[in-house]
Amino acid sequence: MSRLSFEAGSSVAYHTGDWRILRPVYKDKWPPCSQTCPASEDIQAWLALASDDQWQAAWRKLTERNPFPAVMGRICYHPCELSCNRKHLDSAVNIHGVERYLGDLALEQGWRHQPLNKKQQTQQVAVVGAGPAGLSCAFQLVRRGYPVTVFDARSAAGGTLHSGIPAYRLPKNILRREIDAILALGIQLHLDTRIGEQRSAQSLQEEFAAIFLAIGEQQPRIYTGNDQSGHSIMSGVDFLRRINQGEPVKMPRHVAVIGGGNTAIDAARCARRLGAEVTVVCPQDPHGTQHGHPGAEMPASFEEVIQAEAEGVRLSYRLGVSRLVRSGEHLSGLQVARVDQLHDRHGQFAPKLFEGTEEFLSAGLAIFAIGQEVDWHGLERLRDSEDSNILIGGDAAGKPRFAATAVGSGYQAAMSIIACLTGIPPVYEQHEKAEVSINDLNLSYYPQSVRQEGGVVADRLHDFDEVITGLDKTAVTHEAGRCLSCGVCFQCDNCWHFCPDAAVIKQDAGYEVDNDYCKGCGICAQECPCGHIDMVT
Amino acid sequence: MDVRDTYRHNVLTSGHRACSGCGEAMAARMVTDIIGPDAVYINATGCLQVFTTHNQQSAWQAPWIHSVFANAAAVASGVEAAMRANGKDTPVVVQAGDGGTFDIGLQCLSGMIERGHDVLFVCYDNEAYMNTGVQRSSSTPHAVRTTTSPPGRLSEGKHHLKKDVISIIAAHQMPYAATATVAYFPDLKAKVEKAMSLKGPRFLQVLSPCPLGWNHDAAQTIQVSRLAVETGLFPLVELEHGAVTGVMRLARQRPVEDYIKLQGRFKHLFGSKGGAVEIRHLQALADARIRRYGLLEADTEWTTDTANQVQRRGRGGYARVSKGESQ
Amino acid sequence: MEGSHAVAEAVSLCRPQVVAAYPITPQTHIIEHLAEMVADGGLASEFISAESEFAAASIVLGAVAAGSRAFTASASQGLLLMTEVLFNIAGLRLPVVMVCANRAVGAPINIFSDHQDSMALRDAGWIQLYAGSNQEAADTIIQAYRIAETCELPVMVCMDGFFLTHTFEPVDLPGQDTVDAFLPAFHFARTLDPTRPITLGGGSEPDNYMEYRQHQHQALVSAATEIENVNLEFAQTFGRDHGGLIDAYRLEGAEVVMVTLGSVMGAVKDVVDSLRGQGQLVGALRLRCFRPFPASALVTSLCDTGCNAKRIVVLEKALSVGADGIVVTELRAALHNAGMAVIVEGFVGGLGGRDLTIEVIESVFRTASDGVSTRCRFAGLKPESGDQSTMGES
Repeated sequence: MSRLSFEAGSSVAYHTGDWRILRPVYKDKWPPCSQTCPASEDIQAWLALASDDQWQAAWRKLTERNPFPAVMGRICYHPCELSCNRKHLDSAVNIHGVERYLGDLALEQGWRHQPLNKKQQTQQVAVVGAGPAGLSCAFQLVRRGYPVTVFDARSAAGGTLHSGIPAYRLPKNILRREIDAILALGIQLHLDTRIGEQRSAQSLQEEFAAIFLAIGEQQPRIYTGNDQSGHSIMSGVDFLRRINQGEPVKMPRHVAVIGGGNTAIDAARCARRLGAEVTVVCPQDPHGTQHGHPGAEMPASFEEVIQAEAEGVRLSYRLGVSRLVRSGEHLSGLQVARVDQLHDRHGQFAPKLFEGTEEFLSAGLAIFAIGQEVDWHGLERLRDSEDSNILIGGDAAGKPRFAATAVGSGYQAAMSIIACLTGIPPVYEQHEKAEVSINDLNLSYYPQSVRQEGGVVADRLHDFDEVITGLDKTAVTHEAGRCLSCGVCFQCDNCWHFCPDAAVIKQDAGYEVDNDYCKGCGICAQECPCGHIDMVT
Repeated sequence: MDVRDTYRHNVLTSGHRACSGCGEAMAARMVTDIIGPDAVYINATGCLQVFTTHNQQSAWQAPWIHSVFANAAAVASGVEAAMRANGKDTPVVVQAGDGGTFDIGLQCLSGMIERGHDVLFVCYDNEAYMNTGVQRSSSTPHAVRTTTSPPGRLSEGKHHLKKDVISIIAAHQMPYAATATVAYFPDLKAKVEKAMSLKGPRFLQVLSPCPLGWNHDAAQTIQVSRLAVETGLFPLVELEHGAVTGVMRLARQRPVEDYIKLQGRFKHLFGSKGGAVEIRHLQALADARIRRYGLLEADTEWTTDTANQVQRRGRGGYARVSKGESQ
Repeated sequence: MEGSHAVAEAVSLCRPQVVAAYPITPQTHIIEHLAEMVADGGLASEFISAESEFAAASIVLGAVAAGSRAFTASASQGLLLMTEVLFNIAGLRLPVVMVCANRAVGAPINIFSDHQDSMALRDAGWIQLYAGSNQEAADTIIQAYRIAETCELPVMVCMDGFFLTHTFEPVDLPGQDTVDAFLPAFHFARTLDPTRPITLGGGSEPDNYMEYRQHQHQALVSAATEIENVNLEFAQTFGRDHGGLIDAYRLEGAEVVMVTLGSVMGAVKDVVDSLRGQGQLVGALRLRCFRPFPASALVTSLCDTGCNAKRIVVLEKALSVGADGIVVTELRAALHNAGMAVIVEGFVGGLGGRDLTIEVIESVFRTASDGVSTRCRFAGLKPESGDQSTMGES
């Protein structure tokens, strides 16, 4: 057949898809921020909403997993930012700054949490401990229609958030209002109720279909060195609890804080605010690096360490306490010695002191922040039960002692309880998703931009007012917009524009590959900014 | 700023037989979609003509004609004259490769411009005669391996320089001449739209990498074209009536090695003394172009960073779609 | 009226919307006159001064593809520079009309007339009509548009440079209304129009190229009928008949017939009259149409209808160097194919503007009667050339 002209578009009869070896597949990934978030927040999603000024939607997305954004935006050590891929381009997104803004905005606007479904369940659940784990669990359960009763031995809810975090980091009213918002969903809270004393463990078992034990680690680990007198010695936990309850604590001129965790740094900074010269004695180098992350050697949050140093806290590191030095009952100081090896060959924390390296450190008070333990007193029956409807979570379960971990633990517990009560196993969607590393991204499409930080109050040693100020709206929008959206398509149209074969078809929400014509060149995958496209055989 | 469409015409549709990852197919799809189907397209002989009209099937969804290699600009002159004679203002667009522009087609192009025909001439510059099997053209850069500029005992590839065609064209004192490339779509789109908003002869040189002839991975077409710009080897410039009126500032200058090491056509330069000299020569050429157009300091609307910025929608951006952004 | 002027006026009467050309002697007067008409507003047309003949041909190609009637003209080197495009126009089946002001081809460079230029394009796929007079050249223009647009084939109207283009003769130009009635407004089915997008000039492959060519050949062959019909209709409308495919002169009873093309026919007719007066049975035939080659019309004219040619002499102004005259070769083949055992002798003359005088034409008639030769012979060479085939001027 011979034609004087060809019909327009008649080439579609020829299917070039036959040439293909690899084919592109659109696939959502789980960004590193969410992977490392102890509360498994869908950070990318709420950042995206925030960048679009959809503030309430962003807050709702965030609180799906974490009902404490105003709290966590302040105190979480934000591993999300450590893993943020943006650091390869300029610096990590200020995720916690956005989180804090959303939390504060919700409090300011009085946004209320909403139940996920209207159906009311009849099976009652008891939560022991009104800390972040317990309240997180209660929050998830009550939103899903389960009646929840929370018991706490103390006279205020919040657990360590209340008793352990100083007000200059977490103002009390912020904590209280976020807890109130959670309780407003209809959670029964019984304070001053210690199980084993005011209520029996057995009665809990009889009354409730499931029990979640989130009692935290409130029992300080005791210094087991040469001195048993207890004079001028205090645990970090007790010290902070007294400060946080407003009890007066008399400060000597010199205070030594022993430990490398957040409790130690908090205690040091509190003591500093009370007028003492403070030295932190810790085995870890606060500026030491691990896997390339500065400050990762020391358990305490690096930002907190920096703040402490800025406030005049001295850090004496690579040191351990060899003995207390007394003059009568009066504590005159500590004898400290060099350490290098922090862990024994079983991986247990066991700093090894080198003989002959001792030095003297003057101190009228020694605050030991060397760890806490779970106080199972009165709860042994529940702890040792093999019933699947009794769960242990939060710090009490031996998780890393971070508030966000407790929140995540509470979520997991709620899911497990529901699974137990309904007999339907829980589905964790994100576990199916692949990781997305910097190599999967194409950074050409993200212009460099400067990370916005919250302000720091300069003159701050005379009270316990909050030190770090939050981001303003402009900065929050900017930061949310800096999110690279790792692994999650943001419909930039690159694949659609660049396909030489018009084999990418635009959909209402995303794209589809036309396999009749895709030649498998891989340009779409290569030029996808966020690593959403995989080439597969 | 977002300059991307959400609607596309597919003036150049699927089923064409370009190689996998073809930069020219990509460039032509972009350009013709920005212009749209309400235009007459004239094509010089070359890859684009061959792979879009094969076996009596056409990938074009707009009126399209191919005559011979050298005469596309003259055919366009005739088409445009016919449109004028018939009182129509249908846009007339020429598409040609570097052969049909720099070499065999230059005379007709010059004539077309001199006579002031209201035609947009688009050169898809892939820097050699790819259709016939990668022979050197006057657009082939210095020191490049082609089948007619092979490196050998006495040679490090092409001896001569890439013809500065944009200056030659712009010297006609015409309304608009610009360079663009596939990597910076917003820039390309702005230039095509600007060209289409003007009357008279207009010229666009679109660098279009050829995975086959440049010997790079098919998936790297965009990356290579981006590096051509970022190294300064291919400046993105606009000239109006002979004067430079716009350049794309380089957010940062990349060494030419970043660009050439991705491409087999430069492979012979690595690992030999003579090759090292040629690499330095290429670097000097890039530096000279950067100086000439002030690519590092010009005060421009876009830089190579911002021109690449993509718009966010959907779940990764929530933006715009949820607000019902206009199509 | 000068031939070029007459042709330009005829072109104008056909209302071309686009005229594109590049100057070359002896074509220049045609396009100069057209340019004047456009400049004065007498001709509503886009006049485009191309930068080369190659571009000029390309411009009319584009113009016709875009739906406009178009015109160009060239000669000699210019025509050859157009060659690639002319083949392409024919292949695209675009109804372009052009004039070839026939001129010799260099080297050595020569501005004067012969048919070597258009003859070189004989395989391009164009209809070629050779005019014998200025009147015929003008009339043929009008016919050419009708033929081209009906058959979707390009037509080259050939007129001898200087002998016609620069010569003043009385020419009767028809009125615009009559021409408009004879030649309706141009409508091209395959026009480049966004409302009906089509692809022109796409690629072809071994499995369809030959069929395409075969169709093109068939179209050209079939065009012979249209040329005859248009000539008849033209004669009815305008009262002038230049012959359709051929222009025969005194063939009745002729035993020796001279076959030729173009303006030399006037002199040939005088010689025929003179020889007939001397009792010799001679006649003449002018090929008005060379492409399509009018084989059956020639056979019919030369061997039937009262003519009984025993010898045919072809006098042509071009040759296929190293072979023979072009027309003579094709005529021999046509007669051979028709089973006619007629002696056909070829003479090449008038190259580069050399006058084909009465004496030369007579000597050709005489030489033909004298012997049998199938060699290519040159008529009108100067004696000192020493060539054995030298004819005339002795």
